[in-house]
Amino acid sequence: MKKLSVVLVTVDCLRADHVGFLGYSRPVTPVLDSLAKESIVFSNAIVAGAPTYFSFPATLASRYPLSLGRDVLGIAPKEPTIATALRDSGYSTAAMLAGNPYLSARFGYDQGFDTFRDFLDAVEPQEPQFSPAAANGASPLNRRIQAASRGTAFTASAYDELYFWYCQWRASRENASMDQLRRYPAADVVVDQARSWLSSLGDEPFFLWLHLMDPHHPYFPPEEALAAVGASQITARRARFLNFFWNRGDVSPRRLQGYRDEVLSLYDAGVYWADKQIARLIQALRHFQRWENTVLAVTADHGEEFLEHGARYHSPNHLPEQLIHVPLLLRLPEASGARVLDGPFSLLHLAPTLLGLMDVPVPQTFQGRSYQKHILSGELPDDPVISECADGCNNPFHVKERLRPRLMTVRDRQYKLVLRFGEKKDDLYDLKNDPEEHLPLGANALPNIRAHLLQTALAHLRTTRQNRNLDLALHGRIRNLRQSFSSTLGPIRPH
Amino acid sequence: MSQNRTVTLPEEVCAEAEKWMAGSFQNLEALLTFLLQEIVKDDAIKLDQAEEKIVEQRLKELGYI
Repeated sequence: MKKLSVVLVTVDCLRADHVGFLGYSRPVTPVLDSLAKESIVFSNAIVAGAPTYFSFPATLASRYPLSLGRDVLGIAPKEPTIATALRDSGYSTAAMLAGNPYLSARFGYDQGFDTFRDFLDAVEPQEPQFSPAAANGASPLNRRIQAASRGTAFTASAYDELYFWYCQWRASRENASMDQLRRYPAADVVVDQARSWLSSLGDEPFFLWLHLMDPHHPYFPPEEALAAVGASQITARRARFLNFFWNRGDVSPRRLQGYRDEVLSLYDAGVYWADKQIARLIQALRHFQRWENTVLAVTADHGEEFLEHGARYHSPNHLPEQLIHVPLLLRLPEASGARVLDGPFSLLHLAPTLLGLMDVPVPQTFQGRSYQKHILSGELPDDPVISECADGCNNPFHVKERLRPRLMTVRDRQYKLVLRFGEKKDDLYDLKNDPEEHLPLGANALPNIRAHLLQTALAHLRTTRQNRNLDLALHGRIRNLRQSFSSTLGPIRPH
Repeated sequence: MSQNRTVTLPEEVCAEAEKWMAGSFQNLEALLTFLLQEIVKDDAIKLDQAEEKIVEQRLKELGYI
């Protein structure tokens, strides 16, 4: 019997409630919605950490992000991953990643791949100019005026406002298209590379990982995608303004709210474009006669916030559903008809499950397990799932940030416990009756449920500490040291 | 004051390291001490243990330990 191949598509920032097959009313994912009709849909897929650098160790290496000690970033040197396991079993392997610097060889993500393309050479490294946040856009005179304005809150605010609009006026004199403004390669570029790689294969089984950045900020989707989501009135100039305004740190959420719908349209158009290119990928698999023998998994590394809790983007300052709940769709060649599994499912289990489906041994270092049997039976257990990160770690290159207290969520089908270790605080939410997580239950409400989730948290902490893989941790630390001595550190921004 | 220990290292590795660290460390001993301290430090483990205690305490408050 011919071995199955695997395609894993991860879409940066794609949140669960922005895909049609999980209920989004705007038709931004027609391809995935159609695919869902013949796939297994995990309606409660939860990332093991957020953002990208806390999420992917679980997705590829089935390891909780802080379990090697929170000072190790990415995949540790020599750490087994789904890619190394499949390559060792005779698979051809390739990764095409649309320019997220945290998913680079520097952090071990090339391990196990015969072909590794991270597109970092194609990423526009500049901060947007003409923005108050960008010091590189300010002249010495501006900087002096800015410094003088800091005397009072009023003058500081007035200066920031005036300078922002001055920057917009300057920017408006430049004509740039969406394609020129976009920072990361669009999904069509990544899929082109994947098609080319597929064409080079023989009959051997393969593992292909694509990471698409289209919904990631700054949001500059192709015009065609904007038209498709009914937002063709947003020009490139307007998109640039919206991105600058949305990025401002000096305005209130109330003012930002006035632009939210337009920013959401830009984001949705990015989702649409990623979705459309997945159709081209499937077309290529069909063309090369691989589709009928390929397992396709589509998911995300984390979601995105649009002021639901006052925040934007995907900083790990809290772990609301908008960040940790992601789509997960698994299309198996033999499966007929859709199946929706609504139990909580951690992406920690995705790699071992895929390996189980391939009949490939699961590496001993994997902390997750194969859910193959559950998938076939159509029922997931209601085991609580865990997400974790270093609280507020927006720049993991700073050791102090990596060593911040843990932020953890423990979530079952209905309840979610948020543990803020820095504040020694835990908040319990009833997601069924409060899906927006605005009303934490009282500190002593539902003690049985709270205790059950706390016991899960304690077991996780103990197990990961006691079973820490010291060999991998050591290699991770040595890599950190090598990198801290390196003088060639490039600019790192997205997470 | 801590005691010192003598270790034996290949000459060519030491020479390479001395070239590489030029200006950053006073001598090879300083470099190696720094590297070993970095490798064995247990900041993360201390944090993990402290966090376990926080959860244990909370479970005690609720009467589950």
